[in-house]
Amino acid sequence: MSTNKQKMKCPQCGVDMNLHAEKIDYSAALREPESADPALGGVIEEFHSCPECGGSASRRSDGPR
Amino acid sequence: MNDSRPLVIPVILGTPRQGRMSEHVAKLLVSEVGMFPGVMTELVDITKIPLPVGDAGEAIKNPEFSGLCDRADAFVIVAPEYNHGYPGLLKHVLDTNLKEYIHKAVGIVGVSAGPFGGTRVVQNLLPVMRELGLVTIFWDGNFSQVQKAFDANGNLLDKAYPRRLEKFIKELIWMGTVLRYGRENVSQV
Repeated sequence: MSTNKQKMKCPQCGVDMNLHAEKIDYSAALREPESADPALGGVIEEFHSCPECGGSASRRSDGPR
Repeated sequence: MNDSRPLVIPVILGTPRQGRMSEHVAKLLVSEVGMFPGVMTELVDITKIPLPVGDAGEAIKNPEFSGLCDRADAFVIVAPEYNHGYPGLLKHVLDTNLKEYIHKAVGIVGVSAGPFGGTRVVQNLLPVMRELGLVTIFWDGNFSQVQKAFDANGNLLDKAYPRRLEKFIKELIWMGTVLRYGRENVSQV
């Protein structure tokens, strides 16, 4: 389940992006163990796409949605 | 969804070796993909992407290559089979992106001097594609005895290949179209 509450804005178009994927980053958890999800063992990264230009963006997931 | 955008499908030539026959294959793919309406393609020669070898992954992103991957909806990877594996430089190049690949389609074209058409390099690339977030199609391109398929100038000698590639490209376009819609319109639950 994704966790960020606010829609990500496209850096090119400024429109709301669509959250379509998440991935666990285990190497980030090695650098920042305090950021790791305790159940998953890594940091959750969200991946978003823009419905206007198709561009992609990512960010850390940071809390319950 | 902005439907006016063409589907962008780069063809990645995945070997740096001198005398590479895969270059003929990649150029043929660019020609065949480019015949489809509403599709834009271009050749990406991995030897032309300046990347350091002292580090790896997203730490060494190349802005032009990453920008192209971001614009892309699908990819064709042309990979020769070297000792049953894929070229190391191809992996080094592919590993420089992640968000640019996720939920995008990929079709793999194997190339070999022997009779098996690069089937083993295709199989070895599948788990890599999955980990990068790419979605593989169930058609492959297979060029067996590639030295007989083209003449020394890169002219196609075996005229059966365009028909075989047509099926592969149609599947890739379908998957690329569907995944674009999904990325831009279907949210995670």
